[in-house]
Amino acid sequence: MFEVGINLPKTPIVSVTTTENRGHKPEEIVERCLDRIIGISDQAPPAIRDQAHAFKNAIRPLLVHYMKEAVNSDRTTMYNVLRENGHAEVAELIRRM
Amino acid sequence: MSISQAMATSFKTELLTGTHNFSASGGDTFKLSLHTSSASLDASTTAYASSGLGEVTGTGYSAGGGTLTNVAPTSSGTTAFTDFNDLTFASSTITARGALIYNSTDSNKAVCVLDFGSDKTSTNGDFTIQFPTADASNAIIRIA
Repeated sequence: MFEVGINLPKTPIVSVTTTENRGHKPEEIVERCLDRIIGISDQAPPAIRDQAHAFKNAIRPLLVHYMKEAVNSDRTTMYNVLRENGHAEVAELIRRM
Repeated sequence: MSISQAMATSFKTELLTGTHNFSASGGDTFKLSLHTSSASLDASTTAYASSGLGEVTGTGYSAGGGTLTNVAPTSSGTTAFTDFNDLTFASSTITARGALIYNSTDSNKAVCVLDFGSDKTSTNGDFTIQFPTADASNAIIRIA
């Protein structure tokens, strides 16, 4: 006889993050991203665990940098779309963000 | 009324009949709906319905919820697992206590019920559901 396990625990397994009157900051999104890229088990051998933590810490600022660059680049696109469609004032607000 | 986190029992049966396809490319479309604390969702939930399940209403949220992005099923050791990308309801003002993942390709059949542990609220902001790390110990759907 074979038994296959697929049940969920009763405790929450997904995390929910919410914001109030703003979106998530690049730093907050990067933390989620890192959690997804690198899962470090408490049971992992210490040397591997330390190496994983070190890697996580090393790429954090890099991810934040590129995420901010993506945000700024998208604002440039938005600025131009708004300006070309006659919304110069709104475009200027976006540019100044 | 309560939300009890569980894999839908009907989903387990449907796995044995090859009902669901979680492939990232060409697979079924899975969606996630949000529900209030007044909802009754548990292992006996068999499908999403647009009424009677205490679904959330509010700015930035449409009935039926959001479409999930499948991550290709894989395995590690003797455990097979699959995953979804995080889902965000942007510019939303909503409060939810839990969620239902269902297969919108196949009659909205339920996959699992998720409990957030407490009411979560976004106000003119993001409401993001972050799935656990996709590995043999943590992935959202694992067959061990």
